[in-house]
Amino acid sequence: MKGSINARKGEKRRAAEPFEPRIIGFLCNWCSYAGADRAGLAQTPYPPNVSIVRVMCTGRIEPVFIMKAFQQGADGVIVLACHPGDCHYKEGNLRAAQRHALLARVMLQMGVERERCRFDYVSAGEGEKYAQLVTDMVESVRMLGPLKKVSAGGEI
Amino acid sequence: MKIGLYFCNCGSNIAELVDPEKVRLGLAQDGLAYFKTYPFLCSEEGKAFLEQDLRDERPDRVVIAACTPREHEATFMRVLEQAGMNPYLMQMVNLREQVAWVTKEPEQAVRKAVLAIRGALLRVALQQELEREELEVASSVLVLGGGPAGLKASLTLARAGRKVVLVEKGPAIGGLPVLYEELFPDLECGPCMLEPLMGELLHGEYAGNIELLTLSELAEVKGFFGNFSATIRRRPRYLDEATCIGCGECVEACPVAGKNPFDCGMGEKKAMAFAFPGALPNLPYLDPALCTRFTEGGECRLCSESCPMGADVVRYQDAETLVERQVGAIVVATGASLYDCTTFPQLGYGVLPQVKTAHELERMLASNGPFAGDPSGLPERVLFIHCVGSLDEGHRPYCSGICCQYAFKLNRLLRSRLPQARIHHLYREIAAAGKEASALYLSAREDPGTALSRYGSLAGLSVREEGGEARVFVAGGESLSADLVVLCPAVVPGEDAGALGALLEVSLDRFGFYEEMHGRIDASSSKMRGIYLAGACQGPADIQRAALQGVAAAGSVLCELVEGRKLRLEPLFASVDPELCSGCRVCLKVCPYRAVSFDSEKGVACVSSVLCHGCGTCVAACPAGASRAQHFTGEMILAEIEGALK
Repeated sequence: MKGSINARKGEKRRAAEPFEPRIIGFLCNWCSYAGADRAGLAQTPYPPNVSIVRVMCTGRIEPVFIMKAFQQGADGVIVLACHPGDCHYKEGNLRAAQRHALLARVMLQMGVERERCRFDYVSAGEGEKYAQLVTDMVESVRMLGPLKKVSAGGEI
Repeated sequence: MKIGLYFCNCGSNIAELVDPEKVRLGLAQDGLAYFKTYPFLCSEEGKAFLEQDLRDERPDRVVIAACTPREHEATFMRVLEQAGMNPYLMQMVNLREQVAWVTKEPEQAVRKAVLAIRGALLRVALQQELEREELEVASSVLVLGGGPAGLKASLTLARAGRKVVLVEKGPAIGGLPVLYEELFPDLECGPCMLEPLMGELLHGEYAGNIELLTLSELAEVKGFFGNFSATIRRRPRYLDEATCIGCGECVEACPVAGKNPFDCGMGEKKAMAFAFPGALPNLPYLDPALCTRFTEGGECRLCSESCPMGADVVRYQDAETLVERQVGAIVVATGASLYDCTTFPQLGYGVLPQVKTAHELERMLASNGPFAGDPSGLPERVLFIHCVGSLDEGHRPYCSGICCQYAFKLNRLLRSRLPQARIHHLYREIAAAGKEASALYLSAREDPGTALSRYGSLAGLSVREEGGEARVFVAGGESLSADLVVLCPAVVPGEDAGALGALLEVSLDRFGFYEEMHGRIDASSSKMRGIYLAGACQGPADIQRAALQGVAAAGSVLCELVEGRKLRLEPLFASVDPELCSGCRVCLKVCPYRAVSFDSEKGVACVSSVLCHGCGTCVAACPAGASRAQHFTGEMILAEIEGALK
């Protein structure tokens, strides 16, 4: 329901001025970053809206990184990890998944739609999946429209 | 701060879509000291240009906008070093794989490139000079387990000139195969196969490099890769090992005997005895559980008195000792055990005399076994139950891999001794992959006296005694009679695997075997740096696999722990600020490498830079912000985010 309301909002906004979402993508060095490289090697085009921040492991990602990204103007954040069982550091991806589930609840309470902060798995071979995820993410954030700041003083 | 940018055109790969001039204009407000382009920065000419230019420009920080750092980060770090710069003062921006090759519109590509470079500029300004610390290492190696894997690892290392401490729990080396007279796939004799190896280990050209400690176990280990300190507990043999010549006079003289563990309790052995005939090292041992001096406090000295080498060769007063050895690496080759068949009460193991394990049948058939190879007492009708516990979700979901081969080998051995025997195999799956493995299976299939049939689930099988014979009931009402039912149990982790794993801080997989660094690519390393794995302690293995893994583990040691080469630590490790640490120990729990320990005196956590792999999981988990990831600090990542969103 919420998605469809926002979709209408987004459409209205788009009619007025073109909205290009700004998205931060946190990618682990071993699988997902390599997956993004794979999309490049295959020359698979995808929208240019995601800026990649490379970390050694998604387990390194602090919730505050994601909050700061929203605070500084990101309309969406995507965290991409190695598939379960494939983590270069055994289980950092699972820690990231746990943290994401908790953060998603907090974000929802703050009025940030679930679709704005996504977690997924991309292996080093999944160039196509990476391109598709980025395309989907950009489209769904485009439908939601820009992230609104919900309180004064630069706080989200 | 002077930050310079090198833009690699990558021929036309980057520059065709991402116009460097437009990028330069886009970065006009970003305080760049200079912006230089080059056709191919990774070429020999490109690297020479970069090195000379760094020398000329002397920037404080460098951003290289080129291809993926996964390809050339190390290349450009080396150029920085050659130019006299700290290599950690550089940041790469991936304009090829992640911009030029995936963006359709040149304008969009330029915008994406500018944002990425902006992130890198803000980040690189915060990057610090990092040094790769170097540590002295001990080049000697501790090998745990004297089976095929441990023997091959020890010999390979000794031949390469390394000092090896080989620790064996039992009184003899050779592992399980020395007990078997005919091994699959080609019925080679186990002792014949292993004796040249054991001979070389004990008396060969490189034997001087190997210190063999039998009746010994690892008691404690401290330190880390390159610098382990191992304490080994030695049970006494009650013999002067250096003087004893292994003539066996004392064994002859010994008046007491008990059950022989090497014959699964079926035969007898003396209190003073060899582990088994032909055991190496060629030394008997006194079993204090049998000797009347220990069990009753008696005064028997018959073994000592019979010794031709002197009265003080047998040493009743010997006690357990602890020895300490400094080693740089540890090879774990402790083997596996077999699933306890009493777990399946319906199969009657341990209750019905007609039910034995394959291991017990092996000993019954052996010429040095309890029946001295006499086939007269052998059963006429034998029924093998395969996969006892293997391929069973309720027990061990994996295939144990070796049982089919030994079951069909035993089929062949029984046939050769009893031409009239009726043999039946009840199996769940037949697994005999590889160039040699199917021969025995095929010969059993062609044998007119051998039948094979498949059963669905072990729970559907039961064995009962009826009129002195065993009857095996199969789900569906069918029943089969046999004089002997032979169980082929699942291969499971050794009894002490958990305790030894905890001692070494080596993690176990979900089945209790030691977990490899990577199941396929790095199967000879554990997840603890400096601790290597070989043989059945990491999963069911046949002799070939165990021996290969022994050599592989030795190879890993030789290439990673090189004599005279200091251990070079990548500075991408975590550290804890003791001023900020509250001692909550969350970081200890999340570290996948047990690199974080707790200093209980100071009440703070500390990270071993040797064990830390730099994932940063502990940093993200620290609620106090006390934990810090070098080169991936929160400030750097936040700066990169800020730049990418400007």
